[in-house]
Formats: sequence, structure tokens, C-alpha cells
Amino acid sequence: MSTDDLNGSADRAVGGAKASGPPSIEAIGLGWTYAGRSRPALRDLTFRLEPGRVLLVLGPSGSGKSTLARALAGLVPHVLAGDWQGSLRVGEMKVAQTPARLLGERVGLVFQDPDSQLVMARVDDEVAFGLENRGWSRPSMQAQVPEALRQVGLSGFELRVTNTLSGGEKQRLAIADVLAAQPSLLVFDEPTANLDPPGMYATMEQLAGLARQRKHTIVLIEHRLEAALPLADDVLLINEEGRQLAFAPAGSVGREAVAMLERSGAWVPRAWNGASPTSAGAGAGAGAGAGKTGPDSGHRPSATGAPLLSAEDLYFHYPTDESGAHAALDGVSLQARAGERIALVGPNGAGKSTLLFILCGLRRPDRGSVGLAALTREEEPAEALRDPSQLKAREIASRIGLVFQDPELGFVGRTARDEVAATDLAARESGSGRESRPPDPDGVLARFGLGHLTDQDPFRLSQGEQRRLSLAALVLRPPAVLLLDEPTFGLDRRGTEAVMKLLDEFRTTGQAQLLATHDPRLLPHCDRVVAMDRGRVVFDGRPAEFLANPPYSPGGPWRDGVASNLASGLASTEAVR
Amino acid sequence: MSLLPAPIAAVRPDFLTRVTPVARLVAGIAWLVAAIATLDPIVPIRLTIAAIVALVLWSGLPLRRIPRRLAPLGFAILSLTAFSILLSGTNADRSLIAIAEFGPIRLTAPAVSAGLAVGLRVVVIGLTTLLVFGPSDPTRMADSLVQQWRLPDRFAYGTLAALRVAPFMADDWIAIAAARRLRGLQAKSPAARIRDTRDRLLVMLVASIRRAERLALAMDARGFDSGIRRTHFRALRMTWRDWLTIAVGLAVAVASLVLPH
Repeated sequence: MSTDDLNGSADRAVGGAKASGPPSIEAIGLGWTYAGRSRPALRDLTFRLEPGRVLLVLGPSGSGKSTLARALAGLVPHVLAGDWQGSLRVGEMKVAQTPARLLGERVGLVFQDPDSQLVMARVDDEVAFGLENRGWSRPSMQAQVPEALRQVGLSGFELRVTNTLSGGEKQRLAIADVLAAQPSLLVFDEPTANLDPPGMYATMEQLAGLARQRKHTIVLIEHRLEAALPLADDVLLINEEGRQLAFAPAGSVGREAVAMLERSGAWVPRAWNGASPTSAGAGAGAGAGAGKTGPDSGHRPSATGAPLLSAEDLYFHYPTDESGAHAALDGVSLQARAGERIALVGPNGAGKSTLLFILCGLRRPDRGSVGLAALTREEEPAEALRDPSQLKAREIASRIGLVFQDPELGFVGRTARDEVAATDLAARESGSGRESRPPDPDGVLARFGLGHLTDQDPFRLSQGEQRRLSLAALVLRPPAVLLLDEPTFGLDRRGTEAVMKLLDEFRTTGQAQLLATHDPRLLPHCDRVVAMDRGRVVFDGRPAEFLANPPYSPGGPWRDGVASNLASGLASTEAVR
Repeated sequence: MSLLPAPIAAVRPDFLTRVTPVARLVAGIAWLVAAIATLDPIVPIRLTIAAIVALVLWSGLPLRRIPRRLAPLGFAILSLTAFSILLSGTNADRSLIAIAEFGPIRLTAPAVSAGLAVGLRVVVIGLTTLLVFGPSDPTRMADSLVQQWRLPDRFAYGTLAALRVAPFMADDWIAIAAARRLRGLQAKSPAARIRDTRDRLLVMLVASIRRAERLALAMDARGFDSGIRRTHFRALRMTWRDWLTIAVGLAVAVASLVLPH
């Protein structure tokens, strides 16, 4: 016991250097290549961030933003292997020459996924974990743990089980974890990416509070630009090669830099769009193809298409849920017609996942019914709706498909080509192939921009490539109804445009699409919004009506989040109506 | 989105919840040794009764949830017992009197007794595990093992972190199965089923390793195993409760063995 105390106080004394206030950050020619990769993750970053300022880092997927965050915390180069170039200083400490232990005293890093950064089962243990690692004495931990929880508004949560917290609560807990160790540099790597709008709102409020305090230097990597940009003093723009495009005060970024950022495929703040003469369609690789002559531009989503999916008065209660909470689904009805694209929105726990599972027959509702129809050619009469739980696997596959948030879980092939061919093979084996058109998986992959990856292992593709592959896998047998769980999660603007363009293409077959999403930017590209809360449908109507008056409190995250620089060529309600 | 709610045992404070996990572990091991040491059913019967008394009176566990928790074990117990009885060699021994006969099947008293002994031992294992691990959360168990038994940090807290993410693996497993079904892939022959299960396991393994890598990085970022001697937020010291638990646990184990049958 007493040795613990001595240890703790000794290490607290080391941390006493923290009294010197927030550090500056200085990078000179900073570059990093991960071991085993030929392409550098970061190249030649040179900037100086003054103490106590908030830096927003912008760039497309794969631009090395996370690598910069890791370098600031010393994980690069001290934990992850690779080749380091140039220099990076945090205050007086040169990152490459300072033991990770000492950097850890000054730097706190919050990651994207709350579920893979929380370690302990109970909230107070979770906050204490980092302090224990750094040898704090028990009395100082007992004082600091409640204080850190208070700072993030989680007082009274000490004895809660971490897995039972909401996404937003988990992320605030992760922030409490780093605040507890009293770092002077805070690094946030897409802290709201995994959160629903309420969680995102609470987390951004938390960040805004920290930014206002001016007690820390803050580096923020964030895709929700409309919320993040107002917090930033300075911005660092990086392109897809990991090269610095600009470092400037947030209010005075040059036109040219913005245009280059846009071309790199990154999300660009609305406030800057005016500054870029080439905004919207600007060289957006995937979006440009859609253009005015895109396959969907004449498409008029109608309420008169044949009904492909109908759910009546669904009720579902998890048998294992003994908390006595509300039913997962409490009287949900939903219809989807051919060619219709519906956004399914609502906070986590609203029942979206349960609904998707019931719609495709993976769970049976306690009450109510689901009907699915296959797509028919125009001259044929519409098919009668059938109960998915009564259908054979191949019959279901032609009626409904589900793309998971994590596409990896759905992969069945050893190569990208296998992956595309698998669905078709399954249909052929069971003899349901109506037309005997020879399958051409390579052609499909080429159309999806994956032509160079036909022999690649699906698990080795980037996030955006995996998402496109999961859609490509459906091409040879597109289902009549496609359910998508967070189809654009973690994608930059280019990746999002690519996915939306593919969905537009699918829709020309008459496919109905149901997108469960937290991203308000997608709503203008849908025909209808179905909003859920606590197992009920609380809104079903046009996106514009939803956005004008979101049925949630607070509604701000929905209203303000829509702005984006998504290519205008994509089918959207504004364009169509 | 999590597809499954993760139910956790709500424990109310009681005698055993206040006992250091290591003390419960010592007593539990003594019970398991006693249950395995003999071949007759009397010892496991006595330990089963003792375990039920302890569960009801001192464990703080919600009793109505226990049957469901033990349900998978129940199947193992029943089949083990039945097979041990049916397949016992003594059934063929004509010098022994059969206590039941169904056509060619003949069951002798020693066979039934040995079969019951096997089944009851599994019952004791199940109940004892519940008594050792149920009354406190895993963190306390890990703290206890590290502080009182000097287990290495990396092992104990690594295991804890793995336990926390275990429910996500269950979610993954369901999602993988669902994805395959919805793509019309249906394994019909037994060989295809084995291949299908292997492929699903492979996908789950990849997903789990990715998650473990992220978690390990997050732990490193918070100074885990960085060379500083770790301190402990929760104090663990042996109290009279712990010594009493060990003493009573050992006494019950010994008594179950030596009391006249």
C-alpha cells in the first residue's frame, strides 16, 4: 500500500511539469510510412500550432489524419512500427525521442469507436484505468475520478456498467478517461463518427466547452464540419496522399487550398463552398459521372410504383431484455414501393435494427405481419406480398437484401471476384435463374471502380472499397428491396458520392431502398423519411418537412447537419421536384 | 448498432458479494476437488445442497435468473447422466440385480449410482462457478488476482477487456449468419455446413482481431504497461469475511467427503 502511494506521488511530481500550461505543436517535414507499406501515410507536414489553440484537421479517407493523431500521442513511432521522417514537437518534447510514458502524461487521445476504447466493465474503474497505469496514488484517484466524470456531465454514473451506456455517454466517458489524467494536449480522432445525432450533439457540446476553457491545446479530426468548424482557430488541410495542402487560421483559408481539398474527395465546410469556384461537381471522381445525364436524372420517385414491402403493426419485445423497458417495436407500419428511397432515422435504441431484421425475416415479430414481393417486368402483374419467414433462402434473396454497417461481416468470397459471383452462383444452384445471361463479375467490378482489385482478398480493401464491393456483390441479382444500415458510415465525400451513385443506378431497376442512417446529409437524396423513436414511427413524410421540424429534441443536429458539398448530379428531391 | 441487448446479472449486496473474489475462488476449488475425488453420488449431492443454500442465502444473485443461466448446462447434465447409466459395464453383470429392465436394456444399481454421480458433479461445477464468479464483477476478480495472487497485469486486464467485448462477438456471429442467408447461400449437405461454419468463424476471427487491435492501441494510449508500476483504484484487503468464507468452504468440502454415508 505505502509503496503504491510513494510511487503515485513520485509520478504525480513528474506530471507537475503540466503546470506550464498547454503546449505548442511544431512539425517540420514530418512523414511516416507504416512498416510493410510502400506508400507513406503522411508526407512532409510543416506547421506550428500556438499553445491553447484549436486545430481542425481536414482531409479525405486515407490522408493520414489518424496517423497524425497517433504521432501526437507517441503511438507512432513508439508502439506502431514504421519509418519516421522529420520532426514533431509537443511543447519541449520531441516525440520521436521522448518515451511514450512521458508523452502519455501530457497528451490525451480519444478515438472514434467508443466500443473499442473502453476497457473496464464499470464506469469508475474505466476512468481510473489510465490513472492506475500511470501510478497515481489511491487517494488522488478517488478525488480525480468523480471530478473527471463531473466535467463531462456523467456524475452519478460511477457504478454503471459501461456496456449499458448510450453511444454518446460512452464517448463522453472516453473523454473523461483522458481528462482524468490532466493532459495539456487533447487529440480527438473523429469522436462523433459512431454516434447518433443526440450523442453527437452531446459530444460536440463537450468539445465546445473544452475549447472555450482554453486550458488545453486541442487537435480535432472530425467529419461533422458544420459543428466542428466554429470551434477551430486553425485548420490543417491534407490531401489523399498525406501531403499538406494548407495550414491557416480557420477564417482565412485560400480559395486554391479549398479547391484542392475538394478535389481530394474530402468533405468541405459549407461556409467555404462559396470560396471555391468549382464547388459541387468539382472533379469529384465518382460524382462527376452522374452529372445531368446520370442514369437517374429522369427518375421520378412515385407513390404509384408497385408495393414491394409492407409491414403492418409490428410489435416486438426482446425476450432476453428483462429491464422492463419499452418494446423494441411498438406498432410499426411501413410501406415501400418500387423505385422509392426511404431514410430510416432515429436515435440508437429507437428500433431501427430490429425493424431491419424483422423486415428480412431474420426475426419474427410478436405481432403484426411483413409482406415482400419480387420485382416483375412491366407487362407482368405485380406479385402478391409474401411473408419472409415462409420463403426459402433463394426466394428471400431475390426480394430483399441487407448491407451491414460493417461490410466485412457479409463477405463470403476469398477474392473480390468470388464475392460478386457468389450471389449469382447461389441463385443458379437453386435453379431460380430466370434469364441465363452469363455472369461477368470482372465487368461488374470495373463498373464499381474495383476493376484493379478483382483478385484481392475482400478483407484487405479500404473501408470505401469494401462498401462498394458489398454493393457490387448484389449487382448480378439485385433484390427488389435493399436495406442498408449506415451505408455511408466513415466515408469521405467521394466515398459517399460513389455509394449514392450506385444506389441511384440500382434504383433504375425499380428497386426500393431503405437506408438506416444518422447522416442528415443523405436526407435530401431520399424520397421519404421515416423517423422512429422508442419503437414507434414518429414521422413519415417528405425530407423537407422532416428537416424543417425534426420530431426530436434537440432537432438542431438534424437541421444543421444537412449542408454538404455532395455532388449536385446525384438524384435528390430538390433536383427532382 | 448493437443487435442484441446484453443482459448482465444485477447483484444486490450480500455476504458473498463483499468477499474478496480470491477467497471465493479458494473455497470453490476445494469444492470442485471434493466433487471430483470420489465416484459415489453422495458427495456431489451434499455439495449441491450446500451450493444451493449459499446461492439462496448469501450470493445476492437474482434467483429467478439462475435457471436460465444454467439451462445450457442442464442439457449436458441430462445427457451425461443418461449415457453414463446406459453405457455402464455393470449393466451386463448378471450377478447384480437389475432395478429396471426395458426389453434388452437392463439397469443395475451401481450403474445408476455412477451415472448420477457423473451428472451431479457437473451440477456442482455449474453451481460453484456461479458462486465464485457471480457475486462480483469481473474487474474485482482481475484486481483480486493481480493484487493478491500477483498475476501479470497484461494477462489479467487483457482478459478483462476481452470479456467486455465478448457480447459484440455474439452480435457479429448473428450478423454473419444473417448476411449469408440473405444472399441466398444455404448449406445443405453436412460437408457444406462444416465449410459454412468454418467460413463464418474465419470472418468472426478477422472482425475480432481488428477490434482487439483497436482496443490494444487505446489501452497503450492510456499508458497501459508503459513501465510504470501500476497502482490500484479499488482496495482489496483480506477481512474476517474472507477468512470465514475460506474456512467454511474448506470445512464443507471436507465434511462432504468424510461424513458417514
